[in-house]
Amino acid sequence: MADPPRSPDTQPHTTPRWVKVFGIIAAVVILLLVIMLMTRGPGGHGPSRHTGGLGRHTLPASLTDDGV
Amino acid sequence: MRLPPRLRRFVLTAHVTASVGWLGAVACFLALAIIGVTSQDAPTVRGAYLVMEPAAWYVLVPLAVASLLTGLVQSLGTTWGLFRHYWVLFKLLINVIATIVLLSYMETFRFLAAMAADPNADLSQVRNPSPMLHAALALLLLLVATVLAVYKPRGMTGYGRRKQQRRTELPRQRMASRP
Repeated sequence: MADPPRSPDTQPHTTPRWVKVFGIIAAVVILLLVIMLMTRGPGGHGPSRHTGGLGRHTLPASLTDDGV
Repeated sequence: MRLPPRLRRFVLTAHVTASVGWLGAVACFLALAIIGVTSQDAPTVRGAYLVMEPAAWYVLVPLAVASLLTGLVQSLGTTWGLFRHYWVLFKLLINVIATIVLLSYMETFRFLAAMAADPNADLSQVRNPSPMLHAALALLLLLVATVLAVYKPRGMTGYGRRKQQRRTELPRQRMASRP
């Protein structure tokens, strides 16, 4: 956020091209994220979603009920 | 509500400090994440994942929240407003989304730290590319926010245009209604 160095009230009344480009990119990214989350199944945004990394992962004892 | 000039400068300084500090902290996390994935030294790999969780709680989260709060105060306390200009709106969205993702990712940091602390876990189980991916994306988002803040590209929202029209019409109406 910023200090206004120029008057914010003297701007043309059209939607600039950069806003349209940003909007399209944001929509595509959000769509991709939603698809990724949905393909990982329900509850896919917990630690278990990272178990497909560089090696096979199992929950350490400190994070399971038995380990408490 | 307009902030007095001194207070506005103070909030602006706090906002820039928190936002740029957040960007720098994310860059450090990216370096840690790359070390975790590429280093051949086992204690270094485990150490990288162990330090991520406390560092995120003590540095990333406070800076993210401070950046969001000071940004809100700064925009609402100046003529820019919060929903009047596209660049402010995009910055707000970036800030809110990045903060939500960070807070939801804290659980993953805890998981990664627990895995790194487990002596029975193999190094291939400890290594995880997820922090690298998240840090790289966060860095990109925060860089976009910084560029928006510096360049302030033109463009008013519909709400901003209506507010502007109302502000220019009111004095005219007052002048016309005078006897």
